Amino acid sequence: MLEHFVFYSLAAVVLLSALAVVTLKNTVHSSLMLGLSLAGVAGLYAALGADFLFAAQIMVYVSGIAVLVMFVVMLLGRASDLHLRQVNEYWVAALAVCGVAGVGLLRLAGARSGTLSAAPAHPATQALGRLFLGEYLLPFELVSLLLLAALLGAVFFTHKESAS
Amino acid sequence: MIEYAWLIPLIPVAASLIILFGAKEDPRSPLPWIGIGAMTVCLALAVSILWGFVSGGVALPYEKNWDWFSLATTIGGQSFVWTMPVGVLIDPPAAVLLFVVSLVSLMVQVYSIAYMHDDTRYKRYFAFVSFFTAAMLGLVVSSNILVGFMCWELMGLTSYLLIGFWFEREGPCEAQKKAFMTTKLGDSGLYLALLLLYAKTGTFQLTQLHQHFALGLVAPAAATVAAIGILLGAMGKSAQAPLMVWLPDAMEGPTPGSALIHAATMVAAGILVVSKLYFVFLAAPLAMEAAAWIGLITAFMAAAMALVSFDIKRVLAFSTVSQLGFMLCALGCGGYTAGLFHLTTHAFFKALLFLGAGSVIHSVHTNDMRQMGGLSRRMLLTFATMTVAVLAICGVWPFAGFYSKDMILVAAWNHEKWIFWPLLLTALMTAFYMTRLLTLTFLGDDRDHERFHHAHESPALITAPLLVLAFFSLTAGMAVAHDGLAARLFPKPTLSVAADAAAATPSASVAASAANNPQVQTPDAEQELPDWLKFGIPGVFVPGAMLLAFFMYRGPKFEAAEGLRSAFAPIATLLDRRWYLDDAFLALVAFCDGVAALAFWIDANIVDRVFVDGWGLLMRIIAEISSFFDGAFVDAAVDGVGGLSTDLGVGLRSLVAEGQVQEYMMYAAIAVSLAATLILTR
Amino acid sequence: MTLADYMTVSALLFLIGVFGALTRRNIIGILMSIELMFNAANLNLAAFDRFLHPEGLIGQALAVFVITVAAAEIVVGLALLLAIYRNTDTTYVEDFHLLKG
Repeated sequence: MLEHFVFYSLAAVVLLSALAVVTLKNTVHSSLMLGLSLAGVAGLYAALGADFLFAAQIMVYVSGIAVLVMFVVMLLGRASDLHLRQVNEYWVAALAVCGVAGVGLLRLAGARSGTLSAAPAHPATQALGRLFLGEYLLPFELVSLLLLAALLGAVFFTHKESAS
Repeated sequence: MIEYAWLIPLIPVAASLIILFGAKEDPRSPLPWIGIGAMTVCLALAVSILWGFVSGGVALPYEKNWDWFSLATTIGGQSFVWTMPVGVLIDPPAAVLLFVVSLVSLMVQVYSIAYMHDDTRYKRYFAFVSFFTAAMLGLVVSSNILVGFMCWELMGLTSYLLIGFWFEREGPCEAQKKAFMTTKLGDSGLYLALLLLYAKTGTFQLTQLHQHFALGLVAPAAATVAAIGILLGAMGKSAQAPLMVWLPDAMEGPTPGSALIHAATMVAAGILVVSKLYFVFLAAPLAMEAAAWIGLITAFMAAAMALVSFDIKRVLAFSTVSQLGFMLCALGCGGYTAGLFHLTTHAFFKALLFLGAGSVIHSVHTNDMRQMGGLSRRMLLTFATMTVAVLAICGVWPFAGFYSKDMILVAAWNHEKWIFWPLLLTALMTAFYMTRLLTLTFLGDDRDHERFHHAHESPALITAPLLVLAFFSLTAGMAVAHDGLAARLFPKPTLSVAADAAAATPSASVAASAANNPQVQTPDAEQELPDWLKFGIPGVFVPGAMLLAFFMYRGPKFEAAEGLRSAFAPIATLLDRRWYLDDAFLALVAFCDGVAALAFWIDANIVDRVFVDGWGLLMRIIAEISSFFDGAFVDAAVDGVGGLSTDLGVGLRSLVAEGQVQEYMMYAAIAVSLAATLILTR
Repeated sequence: MTLADYMTVSALLFLIGVFGALTRRNIIGILMSIELMFNAANLNLAAFDRFLHPEGLIGQALAVFVITVAAAEIVVGLALLLAIYRNTDTTYVEDFHLLKG
């Protein structure tokens, strides 16, 4: 019962705040709603028993990316933005597309309605650590290389333009 | 020493190269002595081989082969290694010829030191002579007939160079071209014959070829064709009718060079090749017969021409042609021994005659015998040696020519009486014209006093070779005819396997039996001439012909001869014009020229007009029609499709593409969502 | 709870992200929508891991990688956005038509 309550409330938070992200006119509000939605997803991870994902979601998304987005919104935002339309004229078509895709995705999900948890959840952090420094060492290192490249790219793009 | 036989052709080649490239041209160059030294070494080797064979110390034939090159090939799935051997094959005739060629070449070179002095291309001459001799020696010793053919062609080249030695003048230039092209005509026949032999037997090795023929593995038709090709080569090289036209003109070269060409190398090569490939002729009786008749006709025609010529060198040239005819006739009649024997003796006395004539020309500076006469009082040594040579060629006992010519006549008698009688007549004509030459040149009165007073005996370097050659002209016949040595030196090849095997292993007993009974080698019984001919020819006929010539040409004006000449003016003209053979060849060339001109006219005016131009016109019309269709239909269709695509693209772009990224995303999303939904909900 | 519930939430979240990516005029909005889609995918991965292959942790490991890549993506995307903004003085995608033919 508690499980149901937790799941549904978290799902409502996630979906409603996501809807707010894509519909609100004020971009600052959108970005705040994004943080809320991401936090909701983190809660769903917790409900799934994925402790490491929960922590990573909080640290990377909620406290990293959402804050970064907010930062950029504030950096680039203008007062005039509040008076401009934030949704373009394709929204009907987009709704139609989402409807069509939604039929397919929901039918796919419906096919799994009988699938219950195969095993009780147990802490995964230690196992994931062994995995990353063992079997998945190469992708792990590659991802770190990717992060380094992204860091350098970000510095390059921003720094060069400010110099000129 | 025989194991060094392979060096024999290489030594003069080396000498030739050293002489040619050793130093700059200098009329006083000492380099020619290198050629003489090289030839002396060759002569020493040849003497050791020949003497070893005659005394029984050396077993002949001697053969040694090396692999020249080999090719791996696959025929019908099987691998073969195909090897071309090269080597030396010295049979008894080759040993004799090695001796003869190197001796004559040595004498010619010694003689040339004096004769060619102060010539602007003194050194080059000796290089040519050395190379010429090397080529001939190569042909003599080669065990591979293809290599022999190469040497044969090298001889053609060097004869070209020697005949045209004084190429500044027009005569030698024309003569060298004539010689080269005429001999090439024959060479092509020989070449095709060799290719045919190779195609039929798969080898160029003489011994293996002989074995193929001995075992009867070659069809008679192929053998006949090959033999005729070989005969054609010999006709070109040895100046047989009708390809003899080049040899008289070859007199344009230096006289010692002519001596070499006529005595030892060039013209002997034709006879030599026929003798080397004699087994082919044995398998082809038709070609044998052809050889005999060609030899006979040549001998007679050349002798007839010699009767009327007044140019001393031309008389000798005709005489050479005639004697070669004798040899070929002998070979054709089955007188292998006789033919090669005559080749040997002829080499000595013909070299002597040419060198003697050269000595005379050197002294009086003319070739015309009518301006000579009485020279015996000025040039006693030359006269004496020339007399020996003339007696030898006339066939007076006991000079060399007597034995060999006698043997030829016997061979002809045994073969065919219709050949014997004309041949005898030719032999008497030989005696006549040679005596005529001797009389006109040395005897009688001096007809040109100024030339006579300037005449003098030649230096020792010229007379010494004459004496050496005179010695051999005198003794070679006796020595070789003695005790059946001729049959041992020139054993007739057979097509019998047993006899061939016996000949291949010349033990002392076989050699002895062959020596005691020459008929061992020639199964068909040899008949002697009837007594009245046997003793009449040397005793009555030949001296008669000689005396007739002597008395006819003794006086200063030789009225009797001139009377005969005017009485038979058409014949004399015919002979002076050399049987119109040159004219016949020129007419042939002119005819071919005319045919070619006609063909050209037809080509230019009919073929080109009708076929080429007409075809072109037709093609142009077709092309015009095609071009019209292309422009009107094909291009229009292409342009239409292209324009349609362009219009469609422009229209579609104006419809959808506004450069909005979200628009593109929308299209992608529509497509993906539709596709994904269709797939997932199927 | 069943896997279908999580997949439904994930699908809806993904569709919201798609809708946002297609409709937001502001490029920051598009980036945020893309983040929503990433999260939907990650949620699916975590759910599959939990319900289908709990012993392997492969789904969770993959989700971690996706998080990392998404972080890199958003960082580079925002840096590019800053660069573009400096040049064009706008953040609205319909104004980005330098490549229009």
